[in-house]
Amino acid sequence: MVETGIPRLDKFLGDGIPAGKSMVYFNHPGVEGDVFGMQTLYHNLSKDISCVYITSSSNPGLMKDYFTEFGWSIRKFEDKLTIIDAYSSLVGDLSDEKYIVSDPENIENMNEIIIQVMKDVPKKSVIMVGSLSTIMDLCGEEKTLEAIKLWNKMTLMYDHVIIYNFTAWPYSKSTIHAIKDKIFNSVITVGGIAERVIFGQYFGVLKADWADHKAQSMLFRVLRPGGIKIYIPKILVTGPFDAGKSTFVHSLSTRAISVDRLGTTIALDHGHIDHKGFSADIFGTPGQERFDPIIKMISGEALGIFLVVDSTAPKDFVRAKQMLEITKGYGLPYVIIANKQDIPGAMSVDDIRSQFNIPEDVPIIPVIATESKGVFEAFELLVEKITGGA
Amino acid sequence: MDGYFLGLDKLDENIKGIRAGSNIMLLGPPMSGKETIINNIVYNGLKEGEAAVIVTTREPGENVLQWFEYNNLEIPLEHIGIVDCVTKTLGVPTGDTVNIKRASSPVDLTGIGVKISQFLEEFWMKKNLRKTRLCINSLSTMLMYSNIQTVFRFLHVFTGRVKAAGAIGVYLVEEGMHDDQAIATLKQLFDGVIEVKQENDEHFIRVVGMGLKPSPWYNYTIDGADLILIGGD
Repeated sequence: MVETGIPRLDKFLGDGIPAGKSMVYFNHPGVEGDVFGMQTLYHNLSKDISCVYITSSSNPGLMKDYFTEFGWSIRKFEDKLTIIDAYSSLVGDLSDEKYIVSDPENIENMNEIIIQVMKDVPKKSVIMVGSLSTIMDLCGEEKTLEAIKLWNKMTLMYDHVIIYNFTAWPYSKSTIHAIKDKIFNSVITVGGIAERVIFGQYFGVLKADWADHKAQSMLFRVLRPGGIKIYIPKILVTGPFDAGKSTFVHSLSTRAISVDRLGTTIALDHGHIDHKGFSADIFGTPGQERFDPIIKMISGEALGIFLVVDSTAPKDFVRAKQMLEITKGYGLPYVIIANKQDIPGAMSVDDIRSQFNIPEDVPIIPVIATESKGVFEAFELLVEKITGGA
Repeated sequence: MDGYFLGLDKLDENIKGIRAGSNIMLLGPPMSGKETIINNIVYNGLKEGEAAVIVTTREPGENVLQWFEYNNLEIPLEHIGIVDCVTKTLGVPTGDTVNIKRASSPVDLTGIGVKISQFLEEFWMKKNLRKTRLCINSLSTMLMYSNIQTVFRFLHVFTGRVKAAGAIGVYLVEEGMHDDQAIATLKQLFDGVIEVKQENDEHFIRVVGMGLKPSPWYNYTIDGADLILIGGD
């Protein structure tokens, strides 16, 4: 299996892309879909897999520089990377590459070079078409569709995996239909959430003929450096007064801020976390009852909940349960944080579960927030639940 | 009117403003001062607190900013975003700045589109700016690298985005560089045209399609950065 290197996408695809298969990133104009293909290429190069990149909208040097914007130095993998330069001739530049398409507007010329490279590189290579839409613009829709069929066939023959970046400009209906439904084994849609402007980006598996995939979309952000990160815009942190919610938010976050008075949160804690390919904004609420409307308000928009309890204060469990009830109507996944495990007399996870009457399928994580112990395990678990992985 | 003014007095008086969401072609012969016209349209918006996204295919982004500086025109830098399609093609190792995002070439319509969208999002979502002028200088350069269908598809998407964002778009086209059919094809996407003509060493400007009938031709001169409209014929 060839992994895409995109968090969660490999899971959707049943661990990656099998040899001989084709996949297209179907990118809506204006979203950073091309980064998906780049991340996939870099991920495979760094796993010592032979890769081919067909560049048709920038010269090879610029293409390599573009990778470095994301912290991916592909120059160190030059022995594993073959570049097909299908750009320089278009603008009259000279090229140092071994494989050059001398007439990028001629699909026959493109075919000739691509097929030659597919034969020359080791079997099970990853072939990346940097911009299928540019090839289509230069060579025409019908001719390009025919060429894709040929490249996919050759991919199957040589056990490669071929991946295309495609920007879905308003091509003819038949072209879009062929791309979305007919000629690829897998289609990953990368789109934008737009109202007046595009204010969020998502991806989802539209088709994967080898995997049982769910129709599910993930929000993402593109970080420089870092690349694609799954983005969870709102996670609620709630729990009784003095349970350690602010400490939990701060220990988990890459950056955080609290609005407090005399050491007690009186408005909100806010933190942002980037961890293992996931990016999230975390909002902590005050624990006192008079602030309960805030919990309701944030629960309406949150995607998951951390309920923080003080493991040494069973008297507060009733209040904790009451806070959980406020949010339950929203059906959000949640993880219980059994905080202050370092303090003598702290109850064990099992004791909390029985005293709290928590069902077995609800995770309770032992945490020492002051030492950041257990906080990332809790985050990973909640992300699994939110993204449908658990 | 919840719209825009070009900032070109006599023309604005005649057309009484431009509806938000409008896309306008700026069409004229070479050396007729179209660049000054488009820079004036940008500057007049910035003066009113609007934002501007400029796609430059003919000179580096820094040069666009320098034009304002050279002419002593103060501009709020936080309101301006430039998509530079030139610098990388020159092989100059320069990264993005706060105001300038660089596409790899004028062929890279995907990259240009991403960068326009990023600036539109930044101005709308983060800076709370509700009025934006998108200026593409120029479509003619894009048409040198890509065929008419490709540029048409690109514009089809982005004229739509301009409408959705309640912005206005101004797209510069060199007269005489393209055949009539290409111009007619592109015109389908626009709500109006700012036409520029040259006669006997004099320059004239008018707006077509933004009112019931075309505006009169106004004679204009350029003095430094100033565009002075003299009178209608």
